[in-house]
Amino acid sequence: MLTVKILGSGCANCKKLEAVAREAASRANLSAEFVKVTDMKDIMAYDLLSTPGLVVNEKLVSSGRIPTVAEVQKWLAV
Amino acid sequence: MEFVLGLLNGGVGSLASYLAAHVLLCLLPAFFIAGAMVALIPKASITRWLGRNTPAYVSYPAAAAAGSLLAVCSCTIVPLFAGIYRKGAGIGPAITFLFFAPAGNIMALTYTGSILGPEFAIARVVMCLLFGIGIGLLMALLFWRDDVRHDAQTDTLFAEQATISRAAAGVLLTLVAVLIFGTLKLWPLTATVATFNLPLLWAQDWQATLFQWMPFDVAKGEEGVSFQGSVLIVLLLLIAVTAWKGLENITEGANLWTWLALGLAATTLLVAAMGLTPKAGGLEVALTGRVLALAVAMWAVWHFAHQLAVDDWRAWLWEAWRFVKQIFALLLAGVFVVGMVRQVIRPEWIETLAGSNTLPANAVAVGFGVFMYFPTLVEVPVARMFLDLGMHPGPLLAYLMADPELSLQSMLMVAVVIGRAKTAAYVGAVALFSICAGLIYGAWVDGLGWAPLTLTLGLILTLMGGSLAWLRHRQRATVPA
Repeated sequence: MLTVKILGSGCANCKKLEAVAREAASRANLSAEFVKVTDMKDIMAYDLLSTPGLVVNEKLVSSGRIPTVAEVQKWLAV
Repeated sequence: MEFVLGLLNGGVGSLASYLAAHVLLCLLPAFFIAGAMVALIPKASITRWLGRNTPAYVSYPAAAAAGSLLAVCSCTIVPLFAGIYRKGAGIGPAITFLFFAPAGNIMALTYTGSILGPEFAIARVVMCLLFGIGIGLLMALLFWRDDVRHDAQTDTLFAEQATISRAAAGVLLTLVAVLIFGTLKLWPLTATVATFNLPLLWAQDWQATLFQWMPFDVAKGEEGVSFQGSVLIVLLLLIAVTAWKGLENITEGANLWTWLALGLAATTLLVAAMGLTPKAGGLEVALTGRVLALAVAMWAVWHFAHQLAVDDWRAWLWEAWRFVKQIFALLLAGVFVVGMVRQVIRPEWIETLAGSNTLPANAVAVGFGVFMYFPTLVEVPVARMFLDLGMHPGPLLAYLMADPELSLQSMLMVAVVIGRAKTAAYVGAVALFSICAGLIYGAWVDGLGWAPLTLTLGLILTLMGGSLAWLRHRQRATVPA
């Protein structure tokens, strides 16, 4: 079971990132648990300089940008 | 009833004239520039100067540069602020970054310049830069012990290095050229190169109808909606529709709507730069130097954008569109409300409270700025209203410095990262420095010569340099290298 975390305080980019990540998971036929992390303290536990951040199984895979669905699929597949 | 109608009319009038007159040549390119900054400038190219081993004379200016180039929205401001504070250069540069970001970013700068005039934009930037570094140093002096503790932690966040690519630099520079050519009121740009007539017989009637709908009083500083203005408003609406279809999913690739929206945006800029005068028997179109300069600059943007990697230009357009969605609606609502409020406020009130450059006037302005919260950039039309109503430029600058820096939102955010005590100190410092900035600028507007101005600013710089030296001395004394 994958755990996918979306780091961000609820700005437009975080919503977009969540949509992209969900799309990637459903395309790859993976069941994943999505967690939205909005608290600044929890976000800062990961080393990132800009939100939104994407965390797959506790590993920060992207930050500060919106990856494409194909990219996220790659990260989910590992 | 009549009162309410008057209010609504004020709101609609200010919105319409605003859309037609101000927004385009400055805000449209500014959105694209802001998007390009977020998407195309690698953060590491600046953050590498914000690590904890960087000397202070590098990290403070770098923090200001980060504020102006990287931090166009809160997505970057909060994490970067926390990062600099906890894992990087410490509280001083973090505060400088936080303070300079709302005033030094490209949107605020161009918008202030176009609404309040270039001298205000320059004063705002210079004062915010100077006092941003000053406040940062002050905080570093007050809380130097904490920095020593943070310095003990390891730092990998700022170790990464990157440089900006040639194509990205080209896009940014040419976009800035579009912005400058669009807004500068200088000779070759304002000269008319050629005129021709379009046989649009309805143009003059339409103009007359517009003036009838939206009566305006030049003496009160109001502006009407011209024929050209109405054309631009229609173009803007078209952009809104096409952009929604073309840019909402741009990260997955461009479609026909994308190109339509971009083409419309370019057309809008060109139309805004022309002179359209309805005359008997048709519409006179004047091609200005501005039109030609803009056309060349936009071609250059296209040229460089072509060389960007696919992901890069998609990200660029997405960020630009996101800013439009995030800022534009609130800005329009703000302008509408300002237009309504203006009908109620009596110039005498402003005159008595802040009509001259005194200490109480500056303090009142700062107090207003601290307790009022306006969304991003709305502080600028509010300031314009105050200026029109007779507020002295000094207190106005003090207000402009205090308002965006000390919104409730930013205070809460700062409190989460650095704690209550430091937040209180920060708020106090901002209030104090804003009042000083207002007094200095006000005195300059009132005719203070260059010599005392340079002397005052020089004195502040010396003080800052001195405290920096003292700070380094203290830190060396406690932490053996």
